[in-house]
Amino acid sequence: MVPAYLIYGVLYGTLFALMAMGLTLTYMTTKVPNFAYGSFVTLGLYTAYHFSTVFKINPYESSFAAFLVAGAVSALMYVAILRPLARRGTSLVALMIATFAVDIGFIGIFGIYTDYMQEHYPYSYPKQLPAALPGDFFAFGIQGLFFVAPIILAAITLAIYVLFTRTKFGIAMRASVENSSLAKVLGINVERVNVVSWMLAGGFAGVAGALYTLWLPGGTSTGSDLIVPIFAASVLGGLNSIFGAVVGGLAIGSSEDLVTTWLAVGVGYYAAAGLAVLLMLMGAALLRRKLRLVRRTLGDPRIGLVDRRTLLTAMGITSVFFVVVGVYMLFEMATGFGTDLFVSGLVDGYGSEVVGYQPAVPLLIMAITLLVLPRGIVSLNLGWLRRKK
Amino acid sequence: MGLPVIILFGSFNIVAFSVDFISFYALYLVLSISLNLEFGYAGIPNFGKVLFIAGGAAFAGSISGRLAAYVLNVPTRGDFITNNFNIINVGVNSILPSVPWFVVVLVVIALLIGGAIGALFGYLASFPAIRLREDYLGMLLLGVAQFFQLIMLNYTPLTGGNQNIAVPNPYQYFTNLGTGYATLVEAAVMGVLAIFVYLYAERIARSPLGRTLKAVRDSEDAARALGKDDAAFKRNILIAASAIAGVAGALYSFQLATVTYDTWTRFAWTFWPFLIVIIGGAGNNVGVAVGTFFFALVYKGLLIIQPDLQPYLGGIDPNWLTYLLFATLLIGILMLRPEGLVKEKSAPTLSRRKLMSIVRSAGVEPGGGGQGERLGRVKGALSRLRKLLPRKSGGLGQAEK
Repeated sequence: MVPAYLIYGVLYGTLFALMAMGLTLTYMTTKVPNFAYGSFVTLGLYTAYHFSTVFKINPYESSFAAFLVAGAVSALMYVAILRPLARRGTSLVALMIATFAVDIGFIGIFGIYTDYMQEHYPYSYPKQLPAALPGDFFAFGIQGLFFVAPIILAAITLAIYVLFTRTKFGIAMRASVENSSLAKVLGINVERVNVVSWMLAGGFAGVAGALYTLWLPGGTSTGSDLIVPIFAASVLGGLNSIFGAVVGGLAIGSSEDLVTTWLAVGVGYYAAAGLAVLLMLMGAALLRRKLRLVRRTLGDPRIGLVDRRTLLTAMGITSVFFVVVGVYMLFEMATGFGTDLFVSGLVDGYGSEVVGYQPAVPLLIMAITLLVLPRGIVSLNLGWLRRKK
Repeated sequence: MGLPVIILFGSFNIVAFSVDFISFYALYLVLSISLNLEFGYAGIPNFGKVLFIAGGAAFAGSISGRLAAYVLNVPTRGDFITNNFNIINVGVNSILPSVPWFVVVLVVIALLIGGAIGALFGYLASFPAIRLREDYLGMLLLGVAQFFQLIMLNYTPLTGGNQNIAVPNPYQYFTNLGTGYATLVEAAVMGVLAIFVYLYAERIARSPLGRTLKAVRDSEDAARALGKDDAAFKRNILIAASAIAGVAGALYSFQLATVTYDTWTRFAWTFWPFLIVIIGGAGNNVGVAVGTFFFALVYKGLLIIQPDLQPYLGGIDPNWLTYLLFATLLIGILMLRPEGLVKEKSAPTLSRRKLMSIVRSAGVEPGGGGQGERLGRVKGALSRLRKLLPRKSGGLGQAEK
């Protein structure tokens, strides 16, 4: 039997990886965080809903349509709104506000659409779907999406990898992301690259939205609820690397539920013991390396939250704290549990209350990422793992 | 019919409309002015604006109810949150009209709480605001604002979670007088706040502080080179503007009479203020006042024609058209008139009258004479003017010597 939180983690992780890939793609090409991106997920969701309700087509099949619809709208948003604005020399903040405006426009469009559908298909409850859309199969007693979604993600990631490394167009894309004026000099059509990137980005969101309907009931607010975790995943992935975004998405999606479930339902003792050991190891590693590791992983200090010296001091204090807490927790566990408020609270005390704060986990991860790894996971220097003494 | 004068325009009550309009206009004016201080003057894109007004409303609403119940000796009979309706709506609100001194104290305390919470949140937000680039900052503040809504939803002692909690009604005396009086007083109180906030912002704009903020916004490096502590300026303006938003939130919670977590959406409290500032013109208080007027007029006007529009739409809520309209409007403004309805003027140093009087006192008649002569006079007047002005504002001029 596969535990529920594992299914949840895998599905959420996969979908977030898809969404974060798209957001990162738009950020790489235009350097604007797209606040309307969540709406493209909703767009994919309603495409799947429309095909399912009106034509009785399975969301797996209609995810292709979702890709096309969301991709086309996303490309249109770039061509009709962001490109003209950017050509006028509009500032970054004004561009961000423009994407915000597009998001507002989407609210209106979804509102009109759902009102219309409410009129014609009143029992499908389009504003907030009552249940996941039908059409999924079951294998080994588990929802088929559990197997299909990772395969789709892997296929898309592989396709992107092949595109970026094996095709001329993909190399042109990378070149124009690195340095667009230099790419222009070389005769690369940067505009076409940007339009294609935006189309792919919207398409990924659309596919994620369509697959989402198979698993959870969505609604008009799904996209705007998801936008913060998507940003968190992208930031964790470094905002400038597609494969970083995949890792970030998987991490965010799985952590959101795993963290709170572990705290709440009590993988309890094991989690606490594991945490204690992990804390001690982290503290010891930090102390022993005299914080050189941290220094190397630091990115551009301009976009980090703290300067280097504050960070090193903080890490020093934290490492000592980690060791002390770890030893203390192990001691507590050895001498009989439940006497101490802190440990027992961590294991099972706050159960139901913790679960409510679940959506805060991605935000927390984003804040921590900005604090210690402003350039994201991809900036981690893993050379020390391989080096021999 | 409580109000003595009622003019009917068909089914449209102009007095009720005006009162409602003033109240709405004042609320959004306060919010937009405070956003303009951060965004227009200091260049901080505060995409978490809702956090500060919601923080003010939540804490002020939550604490003022408890305070009123405690001071007025209303029996709580169990938990304040679960028994909230009885304590506030039945208990406190029936006593409040008879103790006017306490009403004033309660309102003042609530506004102070709102302001303090806003300032605290602003201080916390200043840490990332000083250090992060605009895009990272926008994403982070948006997330933090969402996080606060999550706390309101889950931490029941604050605002009752997914139940709303009632806020004592300081206007109860006027409510008892008849329909319309309470809304009139509410509008007046909100209007007074708006006037104060406007004058405060205008004072900042005309002071050296306002010019420094604009300098920091336009070029941090240049401001730093001239010895201005850009981080401190950003932090202070964020604290001041957030405190204003917190006060507005506290006052608005009285008007709403309840605090619910789902009132505080980022669309209504972050996006509309941004829309107003962009339409009116950033970095310029007159523009924001004009923009708020335009926004309020369109918004409230659309609400009036909505019932007439309804039959032609076939089951579609006309409210969605408002969203579409404002989205188009904002993008249109950004494309066609990015400086807004009222363009930002260069920062005023002294008023024109004062400048002219200085020129006159230097013995020069403005106008007249040949071109060369006039130029000489102007140069002379300028050098005298430079001596009269305090040293700080002549920084660049002195460097030339």
